[in-house]
Amino acid sequence: MEEDRLWKFSKPEWLNSVWARNTGVYSAGALFAVAFYVMLDSAVWSGSSRNASDVHVKFVDWLPLIFSSLGMLIINSVEKQRLSADSFSYSGSGVAWKARVVLFLGFAALAGGMAGGVTVFVLKFVVPGVQMPALSMGIENVVSNALVGLSSVVLWVSQNMEDEYSYNLSL
Amino acid sequence: MPAAGLKTIIALSFVLAVGFLLVILSCALFKVYYPLLVVGTYIIAPIPNWICSRCANPDDFVESSGAAVLDLGRFFTGFFVVMGMALPIVLAHADLIRVEAMIMSIVGGLLIYGTIISFSMFFHEEQEF
Repeated sequence: MEEDRLWKFSKPEWLNSVWARNTGVYSAGALFAVAFYVMLDSAVWSGSSRNASDVHVKFVDWLPLIFSSLGMLIINSVEKQRLSADSFSYSGSGVAWKARVVLFLGFAALAGGMAGGVTVFVLKFVVPGVQMPALSMGIENVVSNALVGLSSVVLWVSQNMEDEYSYNLSL
Repeated sequence: MPAAGLKTIIALSFVLAVGFLLVILSCALFKVYYPLLVVGTYIIAPIPNWICSRCANPDDFVESSGAAVLDLGRFFTGFFVVMGMALPIVLAHADLIRVEAMIMSIVGGLLIYGTIISFSMFFHEEQEF
């Protein structure tokens, strides 16, 4: 284990505990909730009496978040151990290849959602010159997509922690 | 974990009553009853954990699908806990409730959820293993 380490700094011991893994999964859910409610806040604010402008949140504004969430679902549904299993005897024919294709689709959906959030922000809010209280709807769109990405990173890292943990336990 | 005696039960029920008092006051003082949603959110928050711990076998380390189901339950529990805090903020930002009502319902909801968590920590200890 220690000899085929690539990096100079090893992972600290406490990262492999059950506690750290559970905290990671909980905080991934919390981050996703923050992302969803930031987007919902922009939609609710758009319909409320405080919105004096003509700009309103439509279905187009929700599309980037839908794509980001879809990408997160795909990425975290793939079994990570199949990625490194390249030999035929270990994983059957081409499972690693299929896993890479599906993961690529998931990351493409996630990055596409982020890019879509920036696109909506630029085309709908910056180019027409929307002023600040209504501009916050566009900012919230970008922020929520970034938070979905952050949440999927946290979930990915904590699931990898879990693999290390179960490996240590099975020894 | 110290032994859960009568004092624990009394303190927990007192905190639960204060939490409900804060949430109901935040509704009734301003005649807007949206913050009652917070109570429902915190009550359904532990349910995904319960369901998924029934579905999965945590001793099964060879096939990690059981751990995946447990992780799904934890993910949704974290989602619902943050939902209880984010819902009053969204309502207050859209001018549906007042800021005072937002603060009262968040504090009351956290007290209610803390009561549920500590109650299950004190009295369901034997199910841990």
